[in-house]
Amino acid sequence: MAEYWGVKVEDIFNTMKDRFRPEGAKDVDAVFGYDIAGEGKWKLTVKNNAMTLEKADQLSGCIATMSADGETFVGVNTGKVDATNAFMSGKFKVEGDMGAFGKTGKLFRKFVLAKKEMTTKEYLADMFATIVPRFKAREAEGLEASFGFDLGGPDGGKWTVFIKDKVCTVTETIEGKPTVTLEFNDARDYVDFILGKIDAQSILAAGKASAKGDINMMASKWPILFEKYKDPMAGAVQEQELLVLKKTISLNEKFSTGPIMGKFLKGLKEKKIFANRCPECGRLQLPPREVCAECRVRAGEFVEVGPKGEVRYMDVVYYAMPDPLTGVARETPYGSIFIRLDGCKGNETLPHFIRKDQIEKIQRGWNEKKGTRVRPVWEEKRIGDIWDIKYFEIDE
Amino acid sequence: MAHQKKNRNVGIIGIGQTKHSSHREDVNQPELIHEAVSLALKDANLTMKDIDCVVHGNMELFEMVHSPDLWHVLGTGAYGKDSIRITTGGTVGATLSCASDNLVASGMYDIVMAIGFEKLQEGHTTGGITNMACPLWFRKIQAGALTGSSAYDVEREFGLERADRASLMYRIIMDKHASLNPNAHRAFGLDFSQIDDLIRTSPKLVGELKLIEMCSQSDGACCVIYACEKKAKELSKIPVWIRDHITVHKEENFTIFGYDRKYPVLKTHKFAAEQLFKRNGINDPLNYFDVFEMYDPATWWAIDWIRDFFNLQGDEHLRLIEEKEIMIGGKMPINPSGGVIGSNPIGATALVRVAEAALQVRGNAGPHQIPTPVNHALASGFGGTMWTVMTMLEKELNW
Repeated sequence: MAEYWGVKVEDIFNTMKDRFRPEGAKDVDAVFGYDIAGEGKWKLTVKNNAMTLEKADQLSGCIATMSADGETFVGVNTGKVDATNAFMSGKFKVEGDMGAFGKTGKLFRKFVLAKKEMTTKEYLADMFATIVPRFKAREAEGLEASFGFDLGGPDGGKWTVFIKDKVCTVTETIEGKPTVTLEFNDARDYVDFILGKIDAQSILAAGKASAKGDINMMASKWPILFEKYKDPMAGAVQEQELLVLKKTISLNEKFSTGPIMGKFLKGLKEKKIFANRCPECGRLQLPPREVCAECRVRAGEFVEVGPKGEVRYMDVVYYAMPDPLTGVARETPYGSIFIRLDGCKGNETLPHFIRKDQIEKIQRGWNEKKGTRVRPVWEEKRIGDIWDIKYFEIDE
Repeated sequence: MAHQKKNRNVGIIGIGQTKHSSHREDVNQPELIHEAVSLALKDANLTMKDIDCVVHGNMELFEMVHSPDLWHVLGTGAYGKDSIRITTGGTVGATLSCASDNLVASGMYDIVMAIGFEKLQEGHTTGGITNMACPLWFRKIQAGALTGSSAYDVEREFGLERADRASLMYRIIMDKHASLNPNAHRAFGLDFSQIDDLIRTSPKLVGELKLIEMCSQSDGACCVIYACEKKAKELSKIPVWIRDHITVHKEENFTIFGYDRKYPVLKTHKFAAEQLFKRNGINDPLNYFDVFEMYDPATWWAIDWIRDFFNLQGDEHLRLIEEKEIMIGGKMPINPSGGVIGSNPIGATALVRVAEAALQVRGNAGPHQIPTPVNHALASGFGGTMWTVMTMLEKELNW
């Protein structure tokens, strides 16, 4: 099995169980298929806030199946490949119920590359290998000293760091009598001490370590002579000063309707739909407006239209667009319809929504061809709002 | 309506553009703007001292920042200068260009800088577009800028198969152009062999409008510097002259695109193009222009609008696409930049059209430069409830 960025396709699947979020699976009861070219097929079953995953020969019975090559699949899951790009360009495909597949996004925590651990031996090797590069020669003017390290335990060892004529050298033994020698019973404590996981006081107090010779040289001079050791594992998480500040705002709004829109909205309260007529071109405006924008004359005469009419056009909306008024994505698919109410002609249409379960049955009108007849379904309690009409439904 | 150049001619002498992307978390808004401003000044070999007035624009509140021109002064360089903010929806970039042209042509200023900007990742684009609708009722029903009505129209007129294939053909041509443009946001590397596959697998957004057929939400900025004829000739070896521009707004209306050809609504693209070409004595625009940077937010609109802009008959517009005549090297190259469908930082987008058309006239657009001479270029902007701005650019002052 090929690896991409150090990750195999199987690694993504094998960690699914650990990454599963039952809270993200509340309304999900479905089988999803994954077809990874050259790698195999997997079936993911989600039911009762739990999941099972199996390798499969074929993917029948899945509500949606995603297919991609191994590189794209691993790349998208590890953030190495831009998911939108891969999806739009067809490298990452979903067949079947797209909306259902969208829910898999909430089913799992993100896949995180397993961090390789460094052993005590590796840390010690790295710590002493970086001593010379970390040495600050300008701080060693006129200084001649040696620092011995005697670190016990299975991973331990001995080192001496010499400083003379502003030059630093390291040997892997203790030679002669160093200016100061640091002794640790267990080298692991030394590593933890350098990494800042335990402090000097607690080590010394517990008798786990001791210093012999010019202690002040170790305590005060060492930190000035050398740059602080950087944990290469911590470096894997890049520190940066870039932040994204997230804000959610909610503002109150109020709008005056004016007398013309006021008449229309008040009409809805009384289950009446009003348009107004341009005295010049004779067209009806729905909802009514103060003037006819084309003829630039005041449009005064109100005409009650509908409430039944025919669908001239319908957009079936699949994309779960968030409603900016509530922040909640409208449930898809829904039918956004343009209705020519009885008494109107041409493009004198009113936009509204169709009853959700009737989308499939709607016939759009076109030239002389008639569209499906519909009627409004009114709210019990009406307040003078476009939503006083809940939706339109087929008038049979 | 006659529309002769007012007091004096105006030339474009500097162009700067950021890379368009959905990942510009590395900069804040003034910093993003500053990138484009710096590039335009460098391109014109000028400093901010030479700029008399700054015209700033983007979509209103799309980033939820009120009076952004005040805060953006850090990036625009408008501190201590005359500065104007313009916001006219999707057309704002084109309107910035018109306004700058007018400000210089009038004699008010010698050198004006137009800056169009957007950082769509920072706000709520669908919310912004929806909030453009009447707050008394239509906001509650509308949702963003997506509609399948144009797809429905083209399919009814030419059949599902031909319509779908033309739409994807257009999309892939734009992607091939975007792949040549280092500033383009989306360059997937699509190939014509993928047409059938994408028709089948690209998810539907609304009606027959598929994901691959719609533009993205980009971050980006564009800056263009305009100078009077005298200064333009002094300062630039290759000024690009603005011959004319036109703006047509339709009444605010809900049947924006119409859905029934028996009852046509005013098609502002067609109307604007007819007026513009007539008053400039251009009888055959398809032959006259060497390149067209068209504001094409979706493939279906693009297909339909090619017909409107050039007043084509029957299926001429489809054949231009099917025979790849809109590709670089074709009879009428459309959007060598990759177009809006390749990059859409909305407040900058329509200015990018003018900038890219001007680059083509200059002949140094980069890898997406048209190989044959470009003397006459056309740019369009689109926004609102079907609004149009068109701009004509010329290499020579000889019209």
